[in-house]
Formats: sequence, structure tokens, C-alpha cells
Amino acid sequence: MWINMGPQHPMTHGLWNLRVRIEGEIIEEVDPEMGYLHRGIEKISEDRHYNEVITLMDRTCYVAGLAWEHLYIIAAEQALHLEPPERAQYIRTLSDELQRIASHLMWYAAFVQDIGLMTPFLYAMRDRDLVLDLFQSYTGARMTYEYNRVGGVRNDLPTGFTDRTRKVMDWIYARFVDYDHLCLDSDIFHRRCDGIGVLSARDCVDWGVTGPMLRSAGVRRDLRKDRPYAAYDRVEFDVAVADGADVTARYLVRMEEMRQAVRIVRQTLDWLDKNPGPVLADRLPRWLGAPYAPVGREGYLLKRNFPTGRGFSSVEEPHGEAQAYVVNTGGEHPYRVKFRSPVFANIAAAQKYLPGYRVADIPPIMGSVDICVGEVDR
Amino acid sequence: MTGATLYSVSAALSALLLGAVASILPAPVSGWLTSADVVTGLAVLIFSAILLVASMINTIMLIWFERKMLGRFMDRRGAMHVGYAGLLQNFADGLKLFRKNTFRPQEADSLGFYAGPTAYMVTSMILFGVLPISTGWSSGALPLSLLLALAIFSFAPLFIFVSAWSSNNKYSLIGGMRSAAQMIAYEVPILLAVVAVVIVSGSFDLNVIVNEQQNYWFWFPLLLALIVFVAGMLAEMERIPFDLPEAEAELVEGWNTEYGGMLFAFFMLADYVRALIGSILVVLLFLGGWTMPSWVPAAATSFPLAGIFWFMIKTYAVFGLFVWIRASLPRVRTDQLLRVGWNRMIPLALLSIVLAAVLVTVRCLPFLGCVPPVGG
Repeated sequence: MWINMGPQHPMTHGLWNLRVRIEGEIIEEVDPEMGYLHRGIEKISEDRHYNEVITLMDRTCYVAGLAWEHLYIIAAEQALHLEPPERAQYIRTLSDELQRIASHLMWYAAFVQDIGLMTPFLYAMRDRDLVLDLFQSYTGARMTYEYNRVGGVRNDLPTGFTDRTRKVMDWIYARFVDYDHLCLDSDIFHRRCDGIGVLSARDCVDWGVTGPMLRSAGVRRDLRKDRPYAAYDRVEFDVAVADGADVTARYLVRMEEMRQAVRIVRQTLDWLDKNPGPVLADRLPRWLGAPYAPVGREGYLLKRNFPTGRGFSSVEEPHGEAQAYVVNTGGEHPYRVKFRSPVFANIAAAQKYLPGYRVADIPPIMGSVDICVGEVDR
Repeated sequence: MTGATLYSVSAALSALLLGAVASILPAPVSGWLTSADVVTGLAVLIFSAILLVASMINTIMLIWFERKMLGRFMDRRGAMHVGYAGLLQNFADGLKLFRKNTFRPQEADSLGFYAGPTAYMVTSMILFGVLPISTGWSSGALPLSLLLALAIFSFAPLFIFVSAWSSNNKYSLIGGMRSAAQMIAYEVPILLAVVAVVIVSGSFDLNVIVNEQQNYWFWFPLLLALIVFVAGMLAEMERIPFDLPEAEAELVEGWNTEYGGMLFAFFMLADYVRALIGSILVVLLFLGGWTMPSWVPAAATSFPLAGIFWFMIKTYAVFGLFVWIRASLPRVRTDQLLRVGWNRMIPLALLSIVLAAVLVTVRCLPFLGCVPPVGG
């Protein structure tokens, strides 16, 4: 019997369709269907100024907007031969890690809801709100930030931000213990999550699965370590790895990543306290569409012979390895923008890690993938 | 309140009403109106109406209680806006559902689709007539009231399955199948656990069972049976951790996916009626019903309606335990649930029967000393 789990189904966490062929309660075959949320972001980008694309980036993954902004901005800066100031690099690192905490909390909330736990869902959503409050205080928005700029970030952190963030980090770090108690101490949790949705390291590589799913299979790969960007080579952290490649292992990896993220945030805050400075590059082309450029840095006009270039970036966003490719042919708009979504590959591999398990296993397994349909369909 | 029972109150009310009406009517009609049969008939109707209203209000208050308690567990406030502290929120919700159009899918079977929820609701409500709430506050001293209650209680999977199958929806069908399998699997340990209580009390009559608990409540000697019974009841009520027939993560809403409006309200209400009945059964069988232990000061047990008062306190406490479980546990999987039911619960229930038999033979309890012969 074929069952359509989606496009309007509580399991999907977004707009996609998982077609499942079941025999009794056993899954025989799955067929993920994506594309319900396609907005043509790559094509729209070709008709926008470089800075205007950032607006779209917030809409790719709506729970990890700053990470996707960062991804695009690295590629765009490469293509435009611009170098952001160091302070901006640190602020981006800080934003990435705060975003990772917010995104993983969102994942945690959705995941525990999938296995029937309601209480931690609300705990996690409330703690995520504290992080969103921080975002609001320095970007002005809670989900769609438009904070990064080609050549830096829009504005510096507000006064008192670092202390406030430290307080929130202390609170959240203490809460992780509660989260673990609510899940790992429960026998039913282990009955539901141990040994299901197994995707071996070999299969992960074959299917292009990245991020926490790959690390849960014991592969120590993290772009922040392997190919450092922004300020990641100047902060200390450990790569979260687990064995088992099952749902519990993914849970452990994400929880550890949140702890490491708190660690990174604390280090960047210390650095930012000590090193004031500009957050936006000095000489910016005016046609970047920078209506927010600070007074006194109006930029220079477009020259016809502005150097062309290509930019490629890969970023460890909360869901996995995202990649961006930006082609600058000297015009006001990028000639071509291309993204690689990690979740797309992670969902596609469902054909590998779902069959053989039961219908009731689908929510925990798909929940452990951490799906964000916005970036899958773009 | 030894003298006045719910029935005697309704009989007096009935006689009063009929007498007042008869006094203004001519002789043959008034004579018929005041005859014993008519008075009794009206008394039964009044009795049922009072019972119905009381149990419905209790059920709705139970939903409020759960919402508030869950809210506290989750660091929020629960329903707050309609009435004081949201007391009237569920009445408002009920009104909203009542006003809504009931929608039936075109391919759904009309008879089953409408009859299923109605029968589910009715069979759940009947139980209130069977269970004694306090001395004299029941519809009658049936010698087999426990058996009757459990028999009516186990009707539910049939009606759930009928309504699930007739809604012609794959999620509903899977949910209905799971529900039927789960309820049948857990009927057995429940009945076996009840056998332990029957052995100790020597009767199937709930009144007798409660009276046997004057000296000691059964939860202490029959702890094993209580655990089996509570776990089985959780499965019968389809509450977390055993709510997989309506596991919203994979089956949307399980067997009531296609239901909306008043039919959905029937399901929800009947679910809470069953939760209330389950809590009442736990109180009656294991927690001494309306009796209180002798060390409780007499002032606390002798005021009017003290029996009902303590009974309700206990019932809501038991339900609070269910809410607590719901707030802190994830949901198990169907096969795990069935395996636990058949492989763990039934042996445990059988063991509790053996323990009960030993208890009856020895007639002595640890810490409490020996008790007089039971089942007298």
C-alpha cells in the first residue's frame, strides 16, 4: 500500500511529500518528492544587486538565515575581490554559532514532538526565543535578518550585547542538562531511537550526506575545522562525533554541537569585547545596492572595467555542508548564483535509511535528519 | 448523608412534581400520574439527567484540569481567557464545535461514519450509570457491576474500528487497526489484574469491593495488580505513552482524521469520559473508593457529601498521575506496545493473582498484621 506522507502531514515539517510503500507496518520502499516550495531563488538572484540577494538568503532556510547569508556572502566577496574587516569576521562567526544553537533547538523541539514528547518541545522553543531576542537586538529581526553585507556586516553590535549574550549562553548551557534528562534518561526514548535509521559512513559518502548525519556515523568531518572560514581558525572547539549512525547518535551529535557552539560564542564575545573596529570594508562599489552604507563611505561608482571573478564557498551550516557559487562578469548583478543544499542530499538518502523499519519509525528518523524544506527547494 | 441517596432525592422530586401537576388535573389523570409506576419512571429519568449533567461537567472539568496541569509542566499557563483561569474555555470550545458543520468525505460509508462516534460516546457514558460514586449514589447494587463495567468498557475498539474503516482513509484505517489490536491486547491483563482484586474482596460488586477496603486499601497488598491495571488503563484510554492509534506524527490524527465538528467532539469527549472512568476504576478497586482510613480525623469524613468529596479528590489525583505521565514520556511503538502487553503484562497479572490467592489464604499482611476473613 502506498501512503502519501505529505505534502500536508505533521511528519514533514514543511512542504514536501514522502511517498511510502508499506507492507503491514514495515516500510518497503520510499520515494521522497520535493519541489513544493520552489521559488526560483537562484534565478531571481541573477536579477538583483549583490546585496539584495541577501534578502533571499534569509528565505532559503528560514531557521538558519544567518548561516545562509554567510554562505552567500563569502562567495560574493570572493567574486568581487573584497575583504571584510576582522571584526566582521568575528561577528559572522558569532552569528553562525548563535544560529546553530537556534536551529538545533528548533530541531530538538520538532524531533521530540515527533516521538510524542510535548514538554521539552515547549522548553526548547522558549530557550530558542532567548536566542531570537539576541538576534533581534543586533539585526532588528528574529528570522529574516538581512544583516550581512558584501564587505562586512550592516552594523556593529549594540551596547551591552556581549554581557546579555553571555547570560543567555549560561542559561542555555545549563538547560542542556535538562534536555538530556528528558530524553536520554527515558527508557522509551532509547526503545524508539536506538538502532533505527542507520546510515553507515560508506552510504553517507555515497549519497552525499553531510553535517550531523555524517558525523553521527563516526566521520570526523567539519568544514569549520577542515576548511576554516571567517574566524573559525582562531577559536577553539571540538568536532562532535558519535558512533552508531542511528537516531540516538544524531541526537548526541547535535546536543554536543550546541555545547561547542556555546563555547565558540563565548570566545568570540571575549574577542569582540577587546577589539573594537570597523565592521564594513572601506571602499565598496556603490552599485552593491547598499542603501544602508554608513555616511562617509558612499563608495565609488561602477567602472565598466570592474574586475570579473568567481566565488565559491562551502559552509558548515546547522544542517550540513552548504555550498555556493557566484559568477561576477562585471555587471551590477551576479551572472549566476548556484547553491548546494545539504538537506536535499540528506532527504534523498531516505531511500537508503528508511526501508526495513516501521511506519512508526518514520517520524523519529526523518526528525533526526533535521529537514528545512526552504533550502531543499530554494 | 446515610439516608438521602441520589435515587431517593430524585424519587422525592418526582413525587413532588407529579403531585403538583396532579393537583390541578381531573381525578382519573391525577390518579394515574401519582401511581407508583409513573413516579418511579420519572424518578429514573431525573436520576439519569442528574447523573448525565454531573458526569459531563466533570468530564469537561477534567479537560480543564489536564490543560492547566500540562501547562504548568510546560512552563506556561494553560487556558486563561474564558472564565476565571480559563474554567469556561472548554465549554466555549464545545460550543464552537457544536456550531461547526459536520463534514463527511464523499467516499465514506454513511452509516458507519455517523454510528461509530455516536456508539462510542454512548457506551462510554453508560458507564457512569454502573459505577458507584459513593454510598447510595449509584444506580443500583448490581452483583456483577465490575464485570458489567469492564464489559461495556471493552466495546470501544469495535466502534473505533468501524468509524476508522468507514471513513475510507488510510491513516484512519491504520489507526483503527492499531487501536483495536492495542485495546484487545490490554483487555486481558486488565481483567486478570481485576481478578486479583476480586479474589481478595470476594465479590464482583463494586460496593462490596469498596466496603472491603475499610480496613486497608488494596493498593498496598496488590501493588503488582495496580501497576498492571494502571498501565493497561493507559493503553485503553490511548494516552501517552500508549497513544499510538492517534500518533499525530505519523498518522495525522489516527482513526479520527476525517472527523470534524460535533463528531470530533464526540470522540474527544468520549476519550475523556473513558479517562475519567479509568481513574474512577483505579480509585474504586485500589484506593478505597469513598472510604478513608481510620486515622483520618472523623471531622474530615463525616460532613455532608464527604464520600463524594474524597472520591473526587482521589479520582482527580489519579488522573493527575496520568497527566504527569503524559507530560514526561515519549510514545512507544506498536510492536513494542503489543510485546509489552502480551509478554510482560500478562505474566505480571498472573503473578498478582497468585499473590492475591496467597494473601487470601494467609490473611496476613506485612506491617499491617492479620485481617479478618474476607469475602464474608
